[in-house]
Amino acid sequence: MAKGQIFGLVGPNGSGKTTTLKLLLGLVFPTSGTGEVFGYPLGSPIYKERIGFVPEGPYFYDYLNAVELLRFYGSLFGLGGARLQERIESLLKLVGMWDRRDRKVVNYSRGMLQRIGLAQALINEPDLVFMDEPTAGLDPIGAIQIREVIRRLRDDGKTVFLCSHLLKEMEPLCDSVAILNRGVVCRTGTMTELLTGEDSHYVATFRGLAEASLQQLQSLAMSVEQNEEEYTASFRDQSSAVTAAETLAGSGVELVALQPYRLSLEEVFIDAVGGMPQ
Amino acid sequence: MKAIWRIAKATFHEAWRRRFLNGILVFAILIIGSSWTFTYLQPGAELKMLIDTGLGAIRFFGMLIAIFLGVRLIPDELERQTIHTLLAKPVTRVQFMLGKFFGGLATVFTNVALMGITFFIVYAIKAPQFQNAAAEEGPTYSMQFMSANIAKAIGLCFFELAVLLSIAVLASILFSWILASIFSFFIYFVGQMADFLRELASPEHGADPISSIVFNVLYRILPHFEIFDIREKILLDDFVPWGLLRNVTAQAIIYVVVVLMLAYLFFNEREV
Repeated sequence: MAKGQIFGLVGPNGSGKTTTLKLLLGLVFPTSGTGEVFGYPLGSPIYKERIGFVPEGPYFYDYLNAVELLRFYGSLFGLGGARLQERIESLLKLVGMWDRRDRKVVNYSRGMLQRIGLAQALINEPDLVFMDEPTAGLDPIGAIQIREVIRRLRDDGKTVFLCSHLLKEMEPLCDSVAILNRGVVCRTGTMTELLTGEDSHYVATFRGLAEASLQQLQSLAMSVEQNEEEYTASFRDQSSAVTAAETLAGSGVELVALQPYRLSLEEVFIDAVGGMPQ
Repeated sequence: MKAIWRIAKATFHEAWRRRFLNGILVFAILIIGSSWTFTYLQPGAELKMLIDTGLGAIRFFGMLIAIFLGVRLIPDELERQTIHTLLAKPVTRVQFMLGKFFGGLATVFTNVALMGITFFIVYAIKAPQFQNAAAEEGPTYSMQFMSANIAKAIGLCFFELAVLLSIAVLASILFSWILASIFSFFIYFVGQMADFLRELASPEHGADPISSIVFNVLYRILPHFEIFDIREKILLDDFVPWGLLRNVTAQAIIYVVVVLMLAYLFFNEREV
């Protein structure tokens, strides 16, 4: 994992995402092999000073309120006094819980638990934050807010390790991804590498094609597909797409879009795990 | 040390929110508070009856609290998954386990103290009355002498419960909490009869070699809970020497340390 990026670990149910996360946190031990976090062996309390963890469906001591809970977790890092108090206030504001700081955890909704789960993970200003399905159970606005916090963490130079099976959410959020299937990483790379793949051609969308200009387009492009009134054509590279657009412009054809060919993470994922289950 | 202290503190606070344990304590206080009413069963020996009932109740209800608290300390954290956020922090498993144990121990201590205070109040009110009646039949010991003996008995009761708590914690790591409760009760009751085990192991009592080995091993490894019970001495108006207290306390501490080390060995291997 590169520093300062959002790394996503995706995989089907039972692929080993949570087990991987537990290994990295020292909650379970490897039956074989070794691993390191910040150069320290798995489970070492030394690197835990520098990490945060947002569990899926967080559970906390429910007799505490938000401030008491964060004070408890902060104290485990040796934090205290005015510094901890300031940190608690800023975190509760960050996750939108400041107005509800006096409410006991037992009265929290799933979304509130998720928010306080994020706040406790950031109490020590970690360099690396592990998150297991951080937006699970949140309403759309809550999910957007959490994604914003995740992006802000990256912008602040933190590294985020996201574990999720919500591919549509991961695609715009992650800088790089590993696809896990049956305990094995079957594909990994930056999002651009994965989604463009080896096929680096360009796709142009045209509108207003007559019979003659369509024939002209078919001769210039690798392939052409009709989608209602629009035609999508594939080109070997950007320059041949631009040339075609310029040629067709004289016939009144309008270029709607031109972009590099890009798969969706969902397509990459299905391909990586060997297709849809029968 | 700070992590142990924080976890112990949280455990202590949480323990007082367990209605079941609070119910046992309330019931215990009611029984101890009304223990003088049982004295009519032994006319002429009311004071001894009062002491016997009161101290017996503290031991019995303390045993219930130690077992039911001990077997839930760690399993609750596992079931609710609160352990995940704790162990993801710079908290080692040994710190976590010790924090839970000491939080439980502080709870047991407070429970025993509350029961003890209740008993002392009853004793302070009723003892002079019973003592006056007994004085007519012969010499009696001072209240101070008796009070010191009672305090020693309550102190030993706490150490007995510390041993039992550590056994309950170990059992809860090895088994489900229900099985751990049964196991802890079993150890407690067998531990009360440790001397009987030695007798059973003796060939003079017709034990075959294998039974003899089994009973001998049990005698050696099980805690001898009867050493914590000094009621008989108190009832005979014997002075309870400080040396006895030191020895029994030292044995209890060693036993707790060994049991916790064992618990750690198993807990360290366990997936959470």
